Formats: sequence, structure tokens, C-alpha cells
Amino acid sequence: MEPIIKEIHTNVMEGNVTSVKANVQAAIDAGIPVSDILNDGMIAAMAEVGHLFEEGECFVPEMLIAARAMQTGLALLKPHLKNAEVVSAGKVVVGTVKGDLHDIGKNLVAMMLEGAGFEIIDLGTDVPAEKFVEAVRNQGAQIVAMSALLTTTMPSIKNTIDALNAAGLRGQVKVMIGGAPVTQNYANQVGADGFAPDASRAVATAKELMAT
Amino acid sequence: MKPRDRVLMALNHEVPDRCPMQVSFTPEFAARLEKDMNLGGEDKIHNPHGGGNTYELERSLGQDLLLTSVGWANSYYQEAKEYVDEWGIGWRSAEYETPFGVGRYTEMNIHPLAEDNAIEHYQAPDPNRPELYREAEWMLKTFKDEYWIVGVTVTTMFETAWALRGYERMLIDFALKPDLAERLLEIPYQYHLTAAKKLTQMGVDMIWIGDDIGAQHAMIISPKMWRKFFKPRMANFISELKSINPQVKVAYHSDGVVNPIIPDLIEIGLDVLNPIQPASMDPAKLKQEFGDKLCFWGSIDEQHTLPFGSADDVKTEVQTRLNTLGKKGGLIIGPTHHVQLDTPMENFWAMVNTIQQTPYSTL
Ligand code: B12
Repeated sequence: MEPIIKEIHTNVMEGNVTSVKANVQAAIDAGIPVSDILNDGMIAAMAEVGHLFEEGECFVPEMLIAARAMQTGLALLKPHLKNAEVVSAGKVVVGTVKGDLHDIGKNLVAMMLEGAGFEIIDLGTDVPAEKFVEAVRNQGAQIVAMSALLTTTMPSIKNTIDALNAAGLRGQVKVMIGGAPVTQNYANQVGADGFAPDASRAVATAKELMAT
Repeated sequence: MKPRDRVLMALNHEVPDRCPMQVSFTPEFAARLEKDMNLGGEDKIHNPHGGGNTYELERSLGQDLLLTSVGWANSYYQEAKEYVDEWGIGWRSAEYETPFGVGRYTEMNIHPLAEDNAIEHYQAPDPNRPELYREAEWMLKTFKDEYWIVGVTVTTMFETAWALRGYERMLIDFALKPDLAERLLEIPYQYHLTAAKKLTQMGVDMIWIGDDIGAQHAMIISPKMWRKFFKPRMANFISELKSINPQVKVAYHSDGVVNPIIPDLIEIGLDVLNPIQPASMDPAKLKQEFGDKLCFWGSIDEQHTLPFGSADDVKTEVQTRLNTLGKKGGLIIGPTHHVQLDTPMENFWAMVNTIQQTPYSTL
């Protein structure tokens, strides 16, 4: 592996925004393939951060700063991605469901998915069912990822799935859900296609859903 | 047995007649309960942090602790539409729907210290205003003979600081701008310390501090980070209160997982840990490991059992808890947060009745 890629990897993991910016620019200037910078530098680093998070070795602040560093690098790479042979892993619309304002978990899921090569449409918090439906209809999202942190807002997950059905769109999207009170059992019960207990495993779930 | 004696015995690891109980509700659940109990509903809501408790409701239910609150947590539910509280923090409401009706939550949407340099000119409210302590004064005079009185200064450091700064921004500050993070924490810390000392001088039995640093399956920040930013301040907070009144008890609230720092909390003199979310930490294990040095408060699950379980499930959970976490005292039992609007009335009564109708002598 090119030393500069190794540096990008380390600096993303440590959340070093300024260094990542400089490293990525240097790598582009040196003519290193954009797909290598993305896959071996940034995506691999985020996967490792995610793994450490899963294992309880790293916590929310460390994840947030790594994600910020990754986003800075990604912004520099974006103009080059179209020409390079880099395909998006899929388009995901994420949001915290209606009535619910908890957003850090949802943000981490969005960041990890972005860090794994997915395109993200983030609808924010307190998102009504119609907004999810619109994003699927008009922006071609392939996965709907819903977060709910409250038992009182979990029913909004089901409402959104019903709305996707009513709009005739359920067949063309996968639905994945998560958040503190949400379980695999609940996902089965409301007919969601996937569940994950944390942001790192959300990436694995999204990849599986894209493959089926 | 008087409620206050019941609590005092439990907190001294002695066995009272039954386990003491403390329950709070969202305003919407409180309204349903008032109807169910045929109460006038004229008493003013007092409970902080978005609760809908009234003293009438608490006393009619046979609760053993009465709470009075001073601090930023009182900013929840001030108005129905958008508002800005006295800290300069902006709020809005979001509606949700349950099988038992529609409710709303208030949440912050404007953070006055979002810009790094805003702190230079920031003026926090004055914690010495006499009107802040009128309710406590009246409460102590009216109820202290009978009840265990708790002075509430939750959202002590982290939660108020992040409301001022923004949640994600504050978490990033811990990692990237530690000096700014210290200064941000210091603002609510000083305010709530002043309030807690005053309440202690006035004669409350317990001070309740709180900051959520636990998520469902892990701590939000690392134990190392907690030890750097929070432990020294909490240690000082507790010791200042105990130097005013060595008998005063201190309880601490954090949702979610906090096992890794429990030995630290014991070391700095904490008496009671709240709310023990059973889906996050195993209550029986906590009792085994720490039960001789720490008391517990809460522990009835409201992410599964209360809203989605049967009345029998609730009864079983209460009994299990009394036999484990509450064994030989050391527990104030109740739900792990305000009872939410999605809770069936049968489940609520199964909880209250099982607590009140299970004497320790039958366990
Ligand atoms: C911080 C917090 C808040 C903050 C939220 C700030 C914000 N901007 O997000 C504030 C103070 C505003 C808040 C408010 C309330 N809260 Co709150 N809150 C929490 C707390 C302590 C931590 C949540 C958190 O930030 N976790 C950190 C992140 C990283 O974890 P996470 O969200 O679980 O996400 C991870 C996974 O779940 C998963 N995931 C999440 N989303 C998704 C989505 C997909 C698709 C996938 C695959 C995975 C996934 O991946 C994430 C990363 O690994 C929890 C405690 C707990 N046990 O979770 C209570 C908790 C969720 N809150 C609770 C309550 C009751 C409330 C209030 C209703 C209080 C009230 N007024 O009565 C209000 C409601 C406000 C509203 N309308 O949403 C209760 C809910 C109980 C219940 N019956 O469901 C909890 C469980 C606390 C308790 N003691 O019971 N809260």
C-alpha cells in the first residue's frame, strides 16, 4: 500500500481533519487512483473505527471526529469520483421517525454508511411518513433507514411502511430499522427487511439488503 | 410506617415494611391517571425534566418521595409552541401518537453557544434569586415530617452544557477542544452547585444530580473521558454537599450503560444510582457486585415491559426486582423514566399495586 494511503487511513481514524485534507490532495496530485484512496484509505479506516465501536473500544466522540475527517476527504474526492470507476454502494434515505428527536444514533448510521460508499439522503428528525415516501419516489432511494429511540414513536416505523405500501413503492425499496428499543423481533413484526443494533453493523445489513 | 422512615431505612440498607416507591409521568399520562383516579387535577405541575407530576397525584398514589427542582431541567414543557428559556436555549414541540391518544415532547432547537466565541459574552441566569426556592421552602414546611424530600438539580453539567452548545458539537469538543469543553461544563456546574447547596442548607433529605452519559449498549463517552471531565467535578459537588450536612444523601441519574464507572461513583461518595435500565445493565448482577456500597432507584423497564408487556409481566418484573436489586433494602423502586403515554393503565396499576401489596416479610 502507498505510504500516503496509510497516512490517510491513520488520520481518518484519529479524526485529523487538516491532515486528511492535505493527504488526500497530495494523493490526488500524485495520480494515485481515486478508488484506492477511497477504498483502502477512507472506507477501510471507517470500517475499522466501526469495528472498534462495536467492540466497545471506541465511543461516540471518536466516531464523530473520524466521520468528519472522512467527510472532508470525501468532499475533495467527489469531483473525481464520476470519472473514476467508482460505483455507489447504493442510495439510502435516513431519518428519525415522526415525533422523535433523538438524532446521534441516526447520524452515526448515516456517517458509517457514507463511509462505506453509500449515497445518503438525510431527512433529519421528526420525519413524517410522507417525507420518506417522497424520497423514495422522487430521489430513487433503494433503502429506507429509520431510527426510533422511543416506544411512543416506534409505531411511526409501521406507519411509514404502511405508507410505502399504499404508495405502491414497498416492492422497490428495502427497509431497515434501529434505535434503542428496536429489536430484530420488532423488525419481523412490522415487516422491515433488516435491523442492526449499532452503526457498524448497520453497514453490513445495508450491504446484505443491496445484494438481495 | 411513615414514607420518610421507609426511605431512610432502605437507604441505610435496612429492611422497611415494603420497598419505597417513586414514579413520574409525562404530562399526558398524568392527565389520564388523574381521570382514572378522579382527582381534581387542580394542583400545579412541579416535576422537572418534562414530567407531569403534581403533589396531589404523588400523595394520592402513596409515593414515598416528594421532589422539588431548581435548575435548567425546569425549562422542559414551558410552553406549547416555540419558546426561548432564560438560558437563551430555544425549544419546539413534536407530536406523537399512541393507542391512548396524542402527546407532545418539547426539545431544544436553538443552542446559544454554538459558535466557539459566544461563551466570551455569555451570562448564565442567577441561581441566587429567592423565588427559585419558594416551592422548596413550602414543601419542606408542609411535607418533611411525613415524606422524604428530594432537591432536584439534574442536567447538572453535561446535559445543560450540551443544550447550550448542541449535542453533537459538545461530544466533538470533548475530543478536539477540551479547554472549551471544560469551560462549557463549568457554567451549569456552578449554577447547579449553588442551587444544591442552598437546598441542602434548607434541609432537603437528598440531592438528585444527573447527566445522561449512557446509551443502550455502551457508554456514550469513554470511561477515560468521563474521568477527565466529570469525575473531579462530581466528587467536589458531593463533598461540598456532605460538608454542609453529612447526613444528606446524593443520588445520580444516568440512563443506559454506566457499569464501567460505578466503582468511581462509589469512590467519590455517591449514595444512590438511578434509573438502572434493565435492558442495559443486569440489576441482579449490580446488586451482587455493588449492593453493599450503593443503593438503587428505578429499575422497572419501560422500553418493553410497561408499554408492551401484560399486567402479569409487570407484576413478575416487580417481584423479581424486589427479590434481587431490592433484597435486604437498598432500593427505591419505580420506572426507569417518566411513564409514557403508551403504557396501558392495567400495567401501571399492576406496577403500583404489586409494589404496595408486597411486604418485605413475604419475600
Ligand atoms: C441522549 C438522550 C436524549 C436526548 C437526545 C438528544 C439528541 N439530539 O439526540 C434528549 C435529552 C433530547 C432526550 C429526550 C427524550 N428522551 Co431520551 N434518551 C437519550 C439517551 C440517554 C441516549 C440516546 C443516545 O444519544 N444514544 C447514543 C447513540 C449513539 O445510540 P443510539 O441512538 O441507540 O443509536 C445506535 C443504535 O441504536 C443504532 N441505530 C440507531 N438508529 C438506527 C437506525 C437504523 C436504520 C439502524 C440499522 C441502526 C440504528 O446505531 C446507533 C449507533 O451505534 C437514551 C438512553 C438509551 N438507553 O438509549 C434516552 C431515552 C431514549 N430517552 C427516553 C425518553 C423517555 C425521552 C423523552 C421522551 C423524555 C420525556 N420528555 O419524557 C424525550 C423525548 C424527546 C423526543 N421527542 O425525542 C427513554 C425512552 C424510554 C421509552 N419508553 O422508550 C430513554 C431510553 C431513557 C430511559 N431512561 O428510559 N433523550
